[in-house]
Amino acid sequence: MAIHGLWIINKAGGLVYQRNFADGLAQLTSNEYLVLAGTLHGIHAITSRLSPTGSSSGAEVIEGETFKLTIHLTLTGTKFVLLTSLVETTAEVILQKVYEIYADAVMKNPFHTPEMPIRSEGFDSKITTLIGSGQ
Amino acid sequence: MTIYSLYIFDRHCTCVYYQDWHRTKRPKPAVEGSILPAVSQVISPVAISDTATVNASTFNNSPRNTLSSSTGIVIATNESVARSTPPLPPPSSTTLVQQQQGASSAGLPFDEEAKLVYGVVLSLRNMVKKLSGRDESFTSYRTSTYRLHLYETISGYKFVMLTDPKTDYLRFVLRQIYAGPFIEYVVRNPLVKMDSKEYGIDNEYFRTSVDRLVRGLSVFA
Repeated sequence: MAIHGLWIINKAGGLVYQRNFADGLAQLTSNEYLVLAGTLHGIHAITSRLSPTGSSSGAEVIEGETFKLTIHLTLTGTKFVLLTSLVETTAEVILQKVYEIYADAVMKNPFHTPEMPIRSEGFDSKITTLIGSGQ
Repeated sequence: MTIYSLYIFDRHCTCVYYQDWHRTKRPKPAVEGSILPAVSQVISPVAISDTATVNASTFNNSPRNTLSSSTGIVIATNESVARSTPPLPPPSSTTLVQQQQGASSAGLPFDEEAKLVYGVVLSLRNMVKKLSGRDESFTSYRTSTYRLHLYETISGYKFVMLTDPKTDYLRFVLRQIYAGPFIEYVVRNPLVKMDSKEYGIDNEYFRTSVDRLVRGLSVFA
C-alpha cells in the first residue's frame, strides 16, 4: 500500500500540478512529467474510441506490473491521476477527496488563473493532510 | 463476463492476426492494401468483382463465428479462402439489410483501429517503463466498457486482448495462446512466413485452436 504521486492535468493536456509522495517509482524531471501528462491525455482520448461495444469512457485504471494509474475525469475535462501500488483499493475515494479540495482551495481562490499551474499553499497543505507521506 | 477480440502484432508494428468473439460493433473491412493478407478473413478487403457474394457469405455467418472451415485442407495462408468459398444461399433481404446496417454502424475501418490499438499499447508501454525507471511492462488498462490486456514476447510479438471490464488478470491466457497454438501452428509451421512483412499468420489450425482455447475459459460466456 503506497501512494507514489498525484498529477492534475488540465483540459488541454497540460500538467498543472505534480507531486511525489512515497518512493518506488523513478524520479523524473519536471519536463519529463509534462511530456508524460501530454501523452496520457492523448491516450485517454483514443481509448474511448476503441470500445468493442457502444460508447465508452476513457481509460480509468492503467496497470503495470507493480503500480497503477487511476484516472478521474471531471465533467469540465480536468483529469486527476493518482499513481499507487497495485493493491491500493482506495484510489478512487482519494481522488474524489482531492477533487473536493481542488474545488475549495483552487477554484475558490480569486488569485488562481484557470488552466494554469497550481501554486497554492492552502491546496498543498490540505493534500498533505489527506495523503501524508503516501505510505 | 466475456471476451471481445484478440490482436497479434509483430515487431514491425503490423497486425498479423485478428479474431473476435462477442463484438457488437464490428470494425469495417480494411481498405485494400492497408493490411497484410492472411490476418483475418472477416476484416480483409473484398475483391470488387465478387463483393456481393463475399458480403453475403461473410454476413451470413453469425458474428460470433469467425471460423471458416469450409476447405478442409491445411493451408498456411488462407488469403483466397473467402473468395473460393461457395456462395451460400442469400439470406432473406430484410435480414441482410439489418445485418449490413449492424456491420456498418461500426466506427472505424479495421486497419485504422489496429493502428490505434498498437499506438495506445506502445505509448503506454513506454510510459510505464519511464515511470517505473526499470524494465517494467505495461499489463492492462480498463475503461467503463472494456479492458485491454497485453502480453509481449521476447521476440517482439504483442498479444492484445479486449475483454469485459470486470475480468481480472488475463495475461496468463495470452501466454497460453503463445505457448500453445502460436508455437505449434505458427512457429512450427514451415508454410507460415513469419516476420515477412507480407503475410499475416492466419491459418485454419491456429484459428481453430485459439478459438477452442478461448471458448474453454471460465470467463467466456
